[in-house]
Amino acid sequence: MIVDKAGAVLKKDLLTAIRYRNGFVLNAVAQAAQLATFYYLARAVGPQFRPEGMPYFLFLLIGAGFYSFLLTGTYSFLRTIQEAQQSGTLEVLMTTSTRPEVLLGLSAVSAFASAFVQLSFYVAFGSVLLARSMHINFFATALVFTLSVLIATAIGMVAAGLQIFIQKGSAVLWALGSSSWLLAGTMFPVAALPRPVQVISNLLPFTHSLTGMRLAMLQPLSSAVLQGEIGILLLFALALAPISIIFFSWTVRRARQLGTLSFY
Amino acid sequence: MQSIIFDSVQKTFRRSGFFFSRQKVETHALNGVSLEVSTGEVLALLGPNGSGKSTTLKLISTMLLPDRGKVVVNGLDIRLSSQSVRSQVGFAVAAERSFFPRLTVRENLDFFAALEDVSRRDRPERIGSILTDINLAEAAPKQVMKLSSGMYQRLGIARALIKRPSVLLLDEPTRSLDPSAASNLWGLVRELSRAGITIVLATHNFAEAVAVADRIAVLQRGELLAVRHTEGLSVEQLRSFYLEATGGYESRSWLEEVLA
Repeated sequence: MIVDKAGAVLKKDLLTAIRYRNGFVLNAVAQAAQLATFYYLARAVGPQFRPEGMPYFLFLLIGAGFYSFLLTGTYSFLRTIQEAQQSGTLEVLMTTSTRPEVLLGLSAVSAFASAFVQLSFYVAFGSVLLARSMHINFFATALVFTLSVLIATAIGMVAAGLQIFIQKGSAVLWALGSSSWLLAGTMFPVAALPRPVQVISNLLPFTHSLTGMRLAMLQPLSSAVLQGEIGILLLFALALAPISIIFFSWTVRRARQLGTLSFY
Repeated sequence: MQSIIFDSVQKTFRRSGFFFSRQKVETHALNGVSLEVSTGEVLALLGPNGSGKSTTLKLISTMLLPDRGKVVVNGLDIRLSSQSVRSQVGFAVAAERSFFPRLTVRENLDFFAALEDVSRRDRPERIGSILTDINLAEAAPKQVMKLSSGMYQRLGIARALIKRPSVLLLDEPTRSLDPSAASNLWGLVRELSRAGITIVLATHNFAEAVAVADRIAVLQRGELLAVRHTEGLSVEQLRSFYLEATGGYESRSWLEEVLA
């Protein structure tokens, strides 16, 4: 039944996206423009700059691509709630036989799927240009990917809960998104930051997601560093997943009590 | 058998005051309401705006939870078994914005049917049959944003029926319908009631209450003022009964209402 529901949500989102044709085309153009920006930025910096021993273009491509993927997924939870509040569908959706947490998770699935298409496009582009520099460890890549998605889902659920709780989930995600863009090592290595900032950087799960993904895709051999990153991601996932579900369920129940479910 | 039981239900909405004011503004939406609705019965809630009609419907649908007292639907306390209650209650919300505008009527219903655990195999037939019953079959391939307000109204009811609920909630179901469409809808409501579905509808329309309801309940400022059967009752008699129960509330001007 859950697969059927996921299919219905995907179909709904896909049909809606296709029927807003202009937005669909503009999105594709924006992605191509971003890829071109990375390419020329890497050329301008020059081939001698190899952060963590990797070609800068691939460093940038995997960092920005994976970061955008995770952030899009995280934002999708908040957007689902905000759009449903503004469109008036939230109260209707919350009276269906599907549990609110499941409904929210399914809505995010299609956002992750759409972001995954973009990520695959980035990786394919990088593979075509710099195939010799890519050494994909498929098992480690899948592990980092899965754990990172779990963490992004948990953060997204907390943001969605905050949207229902204080109607300001966007402020929290904006703070997280803009600070982690700088701190997670998206455009440059974390080692370039001042020491005290590096400590904060290491407390962010996305820092480990990006480092882990780069190591899994660009390093020829599985290293102790990669295993360490996977271990940290596992700890984050185990801690955040139950907390986020409990928090989201609590905010929905509280909103039903106060009558604020559709407030925004 | 009782399908819905309200036992001394109290619901108060609290809002913070403006800016840094620590004062809370309280609205008593329901104040100790006790009420029972039998299986297959049609109950019409009558009352002025802000009387608690919509709050009553939202409590039955579990959109809201009571502050005090108990709401029981088909033997289930909505506090303890809200998910099971939701699978048995259909709430017809007709707001235009509560649908996905770029999807067609059929696609919207298909989406909601999936969320209501209707299997993929059963969906086409069930949607087709409901659209025929609700007189929307011709609009099935139309994008929802192109529907008239009367069609939205009917689509809201179709969506509520998709899960085959045992309790159906209707909030002013004929508000945007022409007399002929309203009459058809009343026929459908009677038919659903004969099939054993319990129906609670909120309305301002006396003719509607007389046409479809077995009983009416009059609410005012969160208080349940009176309940009576409609058998043998004319629209004029109902109007007199309502005015007597509410102390002539309907005859007040908006200015008197605000000042009160």
